[in-house]
Amino acid sequence: MKRVVSPVVSILAVALVAAGCTAATAPTGTKPVSGGTLVYATGDAEPTCLDPHVGGNYPQALIASQYLESLVSKNTAGEIIPWLATKWSEAPDGLSWDFTLKKDVKFTDGTALTPETIAANVAHVQDPATTSSTGYLALQKVTGVTAPSADVARFTLSTPDSALLDSLSQPWLAIESATALKRSQAVNCESPVGTGPFIVTKWTRQQSVSLVRNDSYSSPPADATHSGPAYLKAIDWRFLPDSASRYAALQAGTVDVIDNVQPDTLVAAKGSADLVTLDAPRPGASNRIELNSSIAPFDDVRVREAFIRSANVNDAVTTLFFGTAKRSYSALSSVEKSGISEPSLFTYDQKAAAKLLDEAGWSTKNADGYRTKNGAVLELSFPVSTNQSIPAEQSLFEQLQATSKQAGFKVDLKPLDLSSWYGALGKNLYNLVSAPYTKVGPDVLRTLFDSAGTKPAPSGYFANHSQVKDPALDALLEKAATLSDAAERLSLYKKAQKIVLEGFYILPLYDQQNHYLHRSVVKGLRAMPTVSTPTMYDSWLSR
Amino acid sequence: MAFVLWAVATVTFFAIRLIPGDPAEAILGGPGSQASAAALAQARADYGLDQPLFVQYLHYLGRMLRGDLGTSYALKQPVLAVVGENLGGTLLLAVVSLIVAAAIALALAAWSAQGGRVASGVSWLLEVIAAAVPHFWLAISLILLFSTTLGWLPPVSVPGPIGLVLPILTLALPLSGFLAQVMRESILDAIASPFVLAARTRGEGSGGVFWRHALRHAAIPAIGLAGWAFGSLISGAVVVETIFARPGLGRSLLTAVQQRDVPLVLGVVLVVALGYMLVTTLTDLADRLVDPRLRAS
Repeated sequence: MKRVVSPVVSILAVALVAAGCTAATAPTGTKPVSGGTLVYATGDAEPTCLDPHVGGNYPQALIASQYLESLVSKNTAGEIIPWLATKWSEAPDGLSWDFTLKKDVKFTDGTALTPETIAANVAHVQDPATTSSTGYLALQKVTGVTAPSADVARFTLSTPDSALLDSLSQPWLAIESATALKRSQAVNCESPVGTGPFIVTKWTRQQSVSLVRNDSYSSPPADATHSGPAYLKAIDWRFLPDSASRYAALQAGTVDVIDNVQPDTLVAAKGSADLVTLDAPRPGASNRIELNSSIAPFDDVRVREAFIRSANVNDAVTTLFFGTAKRSYSALSSVEKSGISEPSLFTYDQKAAAKLLDEAGWSTKNADGYRTKNGAVLELSFPVSTNQSIPAEQSLFEQLQATSKQAGFKVDLKPLDLSSWYGALGKNLYNLVSAPYTKVGPDVLRTLFDSAGTKPAPSGYFANHSQVKDPALDALLEKAATLSDAAERLSLYKKAQKIVLEGFYILPLYDQQNHYLHRSVVKGLRAMPTVSTPTMYDSWLSR
Repeated sequence: MAFVLWAVATVTFFAIRLIPGDPAEAILGGPGSQASAAALAQARADYGLDQPLFVQYLHYLGRMLRGDLGTSYALKQPVLAVVGENLGGTLLLAVVSLIVAAAIALALAAWSAQGGRVASGVSWLLEVIAAAVPHFWLAISLILLFSTTLGWLPPVSVPGPIGLVLPILTLALPLSGFLAQVMRESILDAIASPFVLAARTRGEGSGGVFWRHALRHAAIPAIGLAGWAFGSLISGAVVVETIFARPGLGRSLLTAVQQRDVPLVLGVVLVVALGYMLVTTLTDLADRLVDPRLRAS
């Protein structure tokens, strides 16, 4: 539904903002002021459970960042930094990790943070009854947690896991009160208990979640700009699914911060002194089109390259995203420090595409201008998830459809809702697909390109949509996942990325877009460098 | 009535299971949840999804007969509770919108029937435009005009009557276009009919003719449309509740369909069907009140 609205909205919104919204200069103080309620309006789906252990998706991560905390976090340089754990060390054999916990940390139900709490959390995520997916996958190598001393939690592993710290920094593995976890799942979903700067007080479905300040808060991550309780007295976390009314609410001052800001809105907001943009691309994979190498015609690398050469991505990104998105030539998000970029592999070149198709035997054309081979048309099925691809991205696919038609590709775009889209993927009825994937650290490469990821789970879900099955690549990725030497690991990840990019398995587009827009009265708002969720801990209102 | 409900329940039950998507996924956090095999098997067993579809259907009918609509897969709450929580908001929206639409339609129809050629032309144009405008477009236009530009009304729903103004206008304006078209025709018919001429010869003034005779005549087709109008308001509520971020049945239904939350979809559809039947029954009664010919028969 949202998708239907937006194109119309964009035109109207641009026209209107051009017509002039008044720009008033807010009084700008530099000294943080305590108090006030911040209204946050999210366009992400309303979570069905506020405990991110259950399931584990981005909407949960967004809100949980306000009341739950993890053992470690990440700074903007990409280094792991202390949070609930002050220090950590890996055993020489890589089969256990010791985390020293911050002292005197209390959950908002009054219980203390102890190694036993960590054990209870890991057990909770690993319990099938919790139905955790994201957290569960991240803890696959963890066999248990013990307490060698009163403030040390020891993780024991089945095999060394170089991604463990990255995994533990994610909100889906945040630490909750062990006492609270013992309640029924329904109750814990409604009022999860953490150590965070805010406390969930009330969840009015389809409307909002009320959060109030945790006055005895003492455990900010190492990169926070202050200590002690948060400045804001409360947060009103509202669910506003429609992007146009969300922006209108921000302009009217009904809300202070919005997420899921669309490209046209970003451009419109640029002229306003009342509004500030916060760009926080998500970690993990770049947004990319994946070419299914398991079935014809993309089982031939020449046809994959021909498609990539025939797609004029740059012009489409420029016109449809108005300069708000930067073209990517990498398998990884630009926030991942181990990413490599190969622009020369992705230059737009119709002549090269035509030559490659001739070589691959697609040398004849039918009356409609599409290439054929032994009577078969060069046709590509492209199921598009209308839940995951924003309107601008869907338009981008249409433009690529037009440019690759010049080379003789017949791209069939099929807009589908999420369930139907997973259905098409599970049946291997696609040649092209685009799916975002958020995860902290380069181990996402293993998720997306290891041959193990081509086997659909019973639900039909699998992550390796390009269906890359390359034993050499598998070996690299599996080795990198166990190495504790950072330099050696980096070199393996670079080699792995080269294989993926040079094999023309993916067509990178841009980082996974994640823009926040807030009123200028909101100060000190930042996105966590982990999964780019906003944190209100350092925020204050200068009204 | 029971037959209609059974038919609605049956068609919806099979329709939602025909579209792709696994309800077990809905239980485990939505499509693409990456749920493990064990978790999915557990969920299927817990919710009886491992049984043949027809057996599931019989179980479902059995529970429905006992008044148990089951538990929402995604929300993990009883469907009756979810529906109960959201029914009020949507009903309020639908009922007020219906009244506002009828008032606007009446005003337009009266003006155009009595105001000569210009009035009739202008109101005809307004009616056609209003009836043709899609809800989502109207909603955004109203927000841009009344919130962003003029700053008179909140762009998203806030507590209190002021938050209801834009959602109600969005629903009422298109409906008023339809109603006005129908009412104007009947008013013109009535004014030209012998019984009005008879009334005039008895000395009735033009106001009396209009209010006592023509209007009554015009109300009949409008009342007949009320059942249809209710249905259109509920479908409009899906759009309006999403854009204005109002809690309600429309939004519940949209999310439930997207998540393949079978029990909740069925619950909402059943309640809407029940509402539709109630409104139809009420319109029959209202028809009898307004139209003496029906009472005689």
